[in-house]
Amino acid sequence: MARVALPIADGPEVRRYARQLMRLHARPMTAVVVLHGLAAVAGMGAPVLLGMIIDAVSSDEGAQLSTVDNIALGLAAFVVVQAVLTRFAAMASARMGERVLADLREDFVDRVLAIPLSTVERAGTGDLVTRTSRDVNQIAHSVRRGVPETLIAIVTIVLTAGALALFTPKLALPCLVGAPIIIFATRWYLRRATPAYLRENATNSELLDGLTETVEGARTTEAYGAGERRIARTMHDLKENYRAERATLRLRSIFWPMADMGFQIPVAATLLVGGWFFIEGWVTGGQVVTAVFLVQQLIEPVDRLLMWLDNLQVAGASLARLIGVSLVPDDRSPTGVKPTSEQLSATDVRYSYVDGRDVLHGVDLTIAPGERLAMVGPSGAGKSTLGRLLAGIDGPRVGEVTVGDAPLVELPLDELRGHVALVTQEHHIFLGTLRENLMLASPSASDAKLREALAAVAALDWVEDLPEGLDTVLGGGKHEVSPAQAQQLALARLVLADPHTLVLDEATSLIDPRAARDLERSLAAVLEGRTVIAIAHRLFSAHDADRVAVVEDGKIAELGSHHELVAANGSYAALWRSWQA
Amino acid sequence: MRPLPVADPGIPDDRSATRYLWWLGKQQLGTISLGVAFGIMWMVSGALLPIVLGNGIDAVAVQRDPEALAWWAGAFILLALVQTLSGVARHRNAVFNFLSGSFRTVQATIKRTNDLGATLPKRMATGEVVAIGASDTSHIGNALDITARFSGAVITVVTVAIILLSASLKLGLVVILGVPVALLIIGTLVKPMHQRQVAYRHQQGELTGRAVDIVSGLRVLRGIGGELVFSQRFREESQRLRESGVHAAKVTSLLEAAQMLVPGLFMTLVTWLGAREVIAGAITPGELVSFYGVAIFLVVPLRTFGEALDKFTRGHVAASRVLKVLRLQPEINDPLDPVPLPSIPATLVDVKSGLTIRPGIMTALVTDRPEDAAEIADRLGRYTDGEVTLGGVSLAEATRAAVRERILVSDNNSRLFTGVLREELDPRATGDEERIMEAIHTASAGEIIDALPEGLDAWVAERGREFSGGQQQRLRLARALMSDAPTLILVEPTSAVDAHTEARIASRLAGFRAGKTTLITTTSPLVLDQSAWVAYAEDGKVIAEGTHKELLASEPRYRAVVTREED
Repeated sequence: MARVALPIADGPEVRRYARQLMRLHARPMTAVVVLHGLAAVAGMGAPVLLGMIIDAVSSDEGAQLSTVDNIALGLAAFVVVQAVLTRFAAMASARMGERVLADLREDFVDRVLAIPLSTVERAGTGDLVTRTSRDVNQIAHSVRRGVPETLIAIVTIVLTAGALALFTPKLALPCLVGAPIIIFATRWYLRRATPAYLRENATNSELLDGLTETVEGARTTEAYGAGERRIARTMHDLKENYRAERATLRLRSIFWPMADMGFQIPVAATLLVGGWFFIEGWVTGGQVVTAVFLVQQLIEPVDRLLMWLDNLQVAGASLARLIGVSLVPDDRSPTGVKPTSEQLSATDVRYSYVDGRDVLHGVDLTIAPGERLAMVGPSGAGKSTLGRLLAGIDGPRVGEVTVGDAPLVELPLDELRGHVALVTQEHHIFLGTLRENLMLASPSASDAKLREALAAVAALDWVEDLPEGLDTVLGGGKHEVSPAQAQQLALARLVLADPHTLVLDEATSLIDPRAARDLERSLAAVLEGRTVIAIAHRLFSAHDADRVAVVEDGKIAELGSHHELVAANGSYAALWRSWQA
Repeated sequence: MRPLPVADPGIPDDRSATRYLWWLGKQQLGTISLGVAFGIMWMVSGALLPIVLGNGIDAVAVQRDPEALAWWAGAFILLALVQTLSGVARHRNAVFNFLSGSFRTVQATIKRTNDLGATLPKRMATGEVVAIGASDTSHIGNALDITARFSGAVITVVTVAIILLSASLKLGLVVILGVPVALLIIGTLVKPMHQRQVAYRHQQGELTGRAVDIVSGLRVLRGIGGELVFSQRFREESQRLRESGVHAAKVTSLLEAAQMLVPGLFMTLVTWLGAREVIAGAITPGELVSFYGVAIFLVVPLRTFGEALDKFTRGHVAASRVLKVLRLQPEINDPLDPVPLPSIPATLVDVKSGLTIRPGIMTALVTDRPEDAAEIADRLGRYTDGEVTLGGVSLAEATRAAVRERILVSDNNSRLFTGVLREELDPRATGDEERIMEAIHTASAGEIIDALPEGLDAWVAERGREFSGGQQQRLRLARALMSDAPTLILVEPTSAVDAHTEARIASRLAGFRAGKTTLITTTSPLVLDQSAWVAYAEDGKVIAEGTHKELLASEPRYRAVVTREED
């Protein structure tokens, strides 16, 4: 089956989303900025007061101890106020961050839950799992830390620069000598950093994948004496990881010294210019000291800003993958057409995964309500594809599949589910109680109804034996059900969903045939009174069906009852005979 | 920098977690020492920067000497340059120490995994071992990494104390007494913060698990319904995580405030006492500026102490988790005096079940309970202890390697690995193109290869997960066949393929294995009919033997198991 990739949102789309998110949280964001701003202002008390002390102790008339004591008290007050404000500002940041984050991930899950069925069936879950775990966590880190830290840094830089201009206007300019260095270094770095760090992360995941594989396959490795291959793989992954680590290390080795000098040169420049102005009598000694330390206080927020810029870039890429999920065009086009009966039919159906290479070449098939049809045939003949079309998951390229004259792809999903359901032997058990696992098929079902469904699939006995019955929590290391039980629960869901037609795909069953026999009894209860199209794996299913369709090379090669086909002496008859021995 | 990983990681000291970390350190003594040296240089020069500033201030405020000012400004730039360059050198050595330590740990883990083989999955959950790669190696690396900055912090605090002591006893005492007090205050907050963060991360992990659960079951949810319920439940848990995040922030924000308050008051005290010393004429205004700057700089070593404590602790915990794996011993050990196994095809006998596998033919084993077949196969392959003989020699008397060479067990739990398909199907590169194609044909896997644009050179991604269950089973079968093992034991090799394919495989198997010993456990008549000999076991004991047709005729219980006749 051809895989389809999920889309990724483009730049404007991501920016639109980010803006919308900001508008939604405008008020808490303002509170964060104001509180951090006030804390930053309090932080400027120290250098200013130090300047006052210097001026007081070096004044000609000699300083009073009480003056120094008073200023020191003021210093203490500023420190306390700054600490208190920081505490409230940090709380406000956390509240805002957590809220934005919750919105983001909830929105993402809703988007996932709206992905068209055909895409879900064909995209596989690997990419989605990556988006759900890695990308969501990447964004979590950025939203909880990166966004507030960036905001704080910008506010602090602006206010510190303002303080410089206010208290020591004559000494505000020398600090700008660092700007060209920092701007140049940052541009150089940012252009290279994101791809280099992404590469580093990728080699880390690769290493982890290799390790997982080696651990999971330890027995296989021993059986084949392939230990050297596992070591070779690990060495390869480690080498790649080392290369990527060295690449980012090289970037830092160049960027850090440049940025550091960009921070320290302004301090020296302010000292030099300040000293000169002081000797000329244009500024006081205290002002020089205040200016020097204010410039030094600029280092921290600028450094912080630079550090997070890179992180925000990566988060942007993750966000693009998250919102990209909802860019899949809807695959159904409800026209309001209503089925007139429960008769399922396919007319001249053709389908291709790749343009120009049809896998179905004009299939015609009509299934009477209540009929059991078994589809047999070699792998790759198109059985599963035909099954998906008959279940209304995909629409045919040419021809149509209808229920009561209404094309399946023109029915809304909710309505389609009431008519036909595709049952694969994939029987996912969700984390949650047994009741929750059943109720997804029928959210309003009563406990009595659930028990009825469980009884129909012969699962009621073991469920009643569980200490907490329907309230038993399944999965996640709590209570593990056996594969056969999982399958029974999947079947009970079907009883509750109650579609009139079932398309049954046995193709991926790994269940032992003997265990399957018990399940078949459960299954028989589910199939009772429904139209069934079984993509049969075992010849038992074909034998028991009303009609058998042999699918070969994308066409129905033989069609008829078991006895008719055996009598016809075609490929089905040959298979049956060898099986019967 | 020397290239990593080293070819031979050495033999780890597994006596204790501390000894393990010590052993790692000894392996990279050179870069650890360099890191420490540069770490000291870096942080001490950082602490000296404000001293130079103060001298510059004195040059103008006291001496009014522009030339001296220029010299001090120059000295400041020079010292800043020394600081940044030693900082980079420290960082480079620290990164090397980090990588070297974590790489060695990965190498040791992989080596142990190989040695343990089939024992590993029995003794430890995959997740536990994988966690080593996911987080423990980083924690161990961090513990080695921080040695450089930690040493710098210690020497810096000592240096600062000496400088202040030489200027004034009171100021010196403030540092000597103040640093431990500051550490204590911040230290008391670190523990509750960690606890809440751990709780938060745990909850975050659970929420991620919930989302992944939804994604994994998306086919069911979109196929049958229930989206609203799941969306609602995720929302509730997401909101709980949000609350827990805010709860954690209550401590984190206190810590942040404390980290501002404690050094701030420290600085205030130094400045206040210093200013009084200036008035008393004991120190110059420039020195006051120096001390103010130094007091502010002390935040750096103080934070480093906290960080180092944290990283050493986590590194220690991680090392003990790694040791749990490194100390595991294989279940099946080689005898002291191994006996060689017969080199010619010989009869393989499992005494407990009474199963006899004759050399050179394809035997099938049918059991009434599927677990029994797996158990017998495990004994025959010596994955579990049991009385099994090959040509009269007990397997327990031979080495594990000798048994593996002679007998291959392939079950449905065996794994495909990521890599080039050709190499994964023939991991020991024993066969030529023709033999590979033959094995693929026998396993009826030709159409899988044909569908891949690069054929046999295609890249198998994600451990073969892109193949369906039935396709994986056929590829596994092809790999088992390629091994050309003298004795091949196949456990339910066709359980996931359709009847057409099964019939094809069954008709080709015996031909491919001609002259070699094969045991196949199955209940499929298509396969049984092609086997030269069939053994039927009930309750783990062989009770009937013969050809498929003979058993069908003579043994009703057998007939009941392989056909669908009800009793």
